[in-house]
Amino acid sequence: MKKFLCLLFCFVMLFSATGCDNFLAANENILQGSVDLPEDGIVPESTVQQIKDENAVAVFCGQSGAYRYEWTVFGSDIAEVKALNLGLDIDNAENGIYIDLHAAESFCFAPVLSVYLDTQWDCQTATVYKSDEKTPLCSASVTGEKTSILNFAVTEVMPNLLITPDELPATPAPTASGSSTGSDRVVSDGKQTEQDKYKTDPVPAGKPMPVEPEDTTVDKRTKYTCTFSIECSTILNNLDMLDPDKLDAVPSDGIILPAQTVTFYEGESVYDVLKRICAEKGIHMEASFTPMYNSAYVEGIHNLYEFDCGQASGWMYRVDGWYPNYGCSRYQLKQGETVEWRYTCAYGDDIGGGYAMGSD
Amino acid sequence: MANTDTFSGYHPTVNFIYFALVLFFGMIFMHPACLAIALFGSVAYAVRLKGRRAAGFGVKFILPVVLLAVVINPAFNHAGETILLYLSNGNPITKESIAYGFAAGAMLAAVLMWFYCGTEVLSSDKFVYIFGRVSPALALILSMTLRFVPKFKRQMELTRQARRSVGCDTANGSVLRRTKNAITVLSGMITWSLENAIDTADSMKSRGYGLAHRSSFSIYRFDRRDRLMLAWLLLCGGVILLAAFTGGLSWRYFPNIRGALSPVTICALAAYLALCLTPTIIDLREEQRWKSLISKA
Repeated sequence: MKKFLCLLFCFVMLFSATGCDNFLAANENILQGSVDLPEDGIVPESTVQQIKDENAVAVFCGQSGAYRYEWTVFGSDIAEVKALNLGLDIDNAENGIYIDLHAAESFCFAPVLSVYLDTQWDCQTATVYKSDEKTPLCSASVTGEKTSILNFAVTEVMPNLLITPDELPATPAPTASGSSTGSDRVVSDGKQTEQDKYKTDPVPAGKPMPVEPEDTTVDKRTKYTCTFSIECSTILNNLDMLDPDKLDAVPSDGIILPAQTVTFYEGESVYDVLKRICAEKGIHMEASFTPMYNSAYVEGIHNLYEFDCGQASGWMYRVDGWYPNYGCSRYQLKQGETVEWRYTCAYGDDIGGGYAMGSD
Repeated sequence: MANTDTFSGYHPTVNFIYFALVLFFGMIFMHPACLAIALFGSVAYAVRLKGRRAAGFGVKFILPVVLLAVVINPAFNHAGETILLYLSNGNPITKESIAYGFAAGAMLAAVLMWFYCGTEVLSSDKFVYIFGRVSPALALILSMTLRFVPKFKRQMELTRQARRSVGCDTANGSVLRRTKNAITVLSGMITWSLENAIDTADSMKSRGYGLAHRSSFSIYRFDRRDRLMLAWLLLCGGVILLAAFTGGLSWRYFPNIRGALSPVTICALAAYLALCLTPTIIDLREEQRWKSLISKA
């Protein structure tokens, strides 16, 4: 009997050690992992059928010269089952790269193409032009830590796409306080050397100083507009780290809320606007107020939470190209600013915002 | 120790393995069908064991815990894609977190009910019998602790009654007076328990505890009936574990409610239902047999 009890104990330990983890693996939307594309770049119909049937997410990798590329195919997106020609050639352009898709006919859905560059583009978005190199087709997000990764959904199949980096948004020159901008915003002079009482490192010169939420009053009579967007395209490049249960929450193009003009009121912070927009659009969002930083901390948007895609993942926000190094309740919005909420899988390094998290 | 039901009459090892299985499964499976089966099985057995008192325990102790879980979860867990309404701090209440609250509540209730049945079936002498050979010290401590609780309760009642008879009641008078009286009772109890511990230690020493080769009496036999039952438990447990390993019992609540429902799931659920209802069914069958024997006589 003693032997038997020992055996049972071992059995229970074994199960609890190995079983509990994989036990709750979702079986609804499964990640098939990345597969190398065949030489000719054609994914056979049977594979496409399988991805659709299993409602899987598949990543196809290919190589063109020095560039590696990946296609992310969501089974739920596939409208028509047919062989996909995902082969392509990448060439250097004067400013940017050319992508020559081999496909002759439309995919009938929009798989996301990720191109891994060997250099770092000093930009945050890029524009994809049609073959005539003049008509913009769509915008590509630029992520990546040391070398850039371009992500865009291929909605239209055409040869010789040109992708060029967008200009960085012009940083308004720091003006003396109370100057012609008409705003009462306090801009950092860059002379501060100590952390403030909410553990915020010195704000770089020319950037707005944090405004404490308890000191502000929202004036509903004065309306302004800003551009607002929420995206998580960097998850598509890190699907192997993603909690498999959360695959269902990732939009197939990585865009949760496309950039759009929204109205806000005088004195509102980035967090106030996020809260309102998410409630209006029915987008899930959870935040908690953190007294230490005197700001709301956004834990999850669209059911994608911090730590869902690796230990270094979470939500960050960027206003006019700059990731503020303080909480979103302390950034008071001004007319015409562009707010982007972006998911990071590497403390902001992959989305060009590592400095806000204190890395070099 | 009167064994009121048939399953309690089985070998302690079988009893212990049964409760280890149902508690373990009850704690890890979040599949709603599993939760329903565990809850049903445990309540049926508890009612079989204790009748109306089980219902009282359920309503008085388990229901509040379950209600707390159902209310607390959606208030603090805001994940899930179906937003029902918003709290004043801007966080959503979702269908998924409410469903998870119910699931967690059902799991808590089932596990508590299993423990309720377990303490009834696995009496402390059975416990000492099972663990006495694996770890004598642990078994001794466990049995002494378990014994101490009812002893303490009885002594407390005695002290309270004695105090009441001299007019120092803990039920009447002002709050301050009642508290004072209760503290007197408690202080007396602490003194008693310390003294009792010394008495117990002396008594056990004089009875030869702690000496090598001390044997203890037990009347348990592992016969054919127990072997059959053990084989049955292992069969059910094996089927369920196999299904769980292959994902047949997986269920998730976030971000959307999804789960397995395949032939494997049905098999595992059938095995789980059979496992949970085993003691109730054998007891019912025994009762029927007994009744039929009486009527024939």
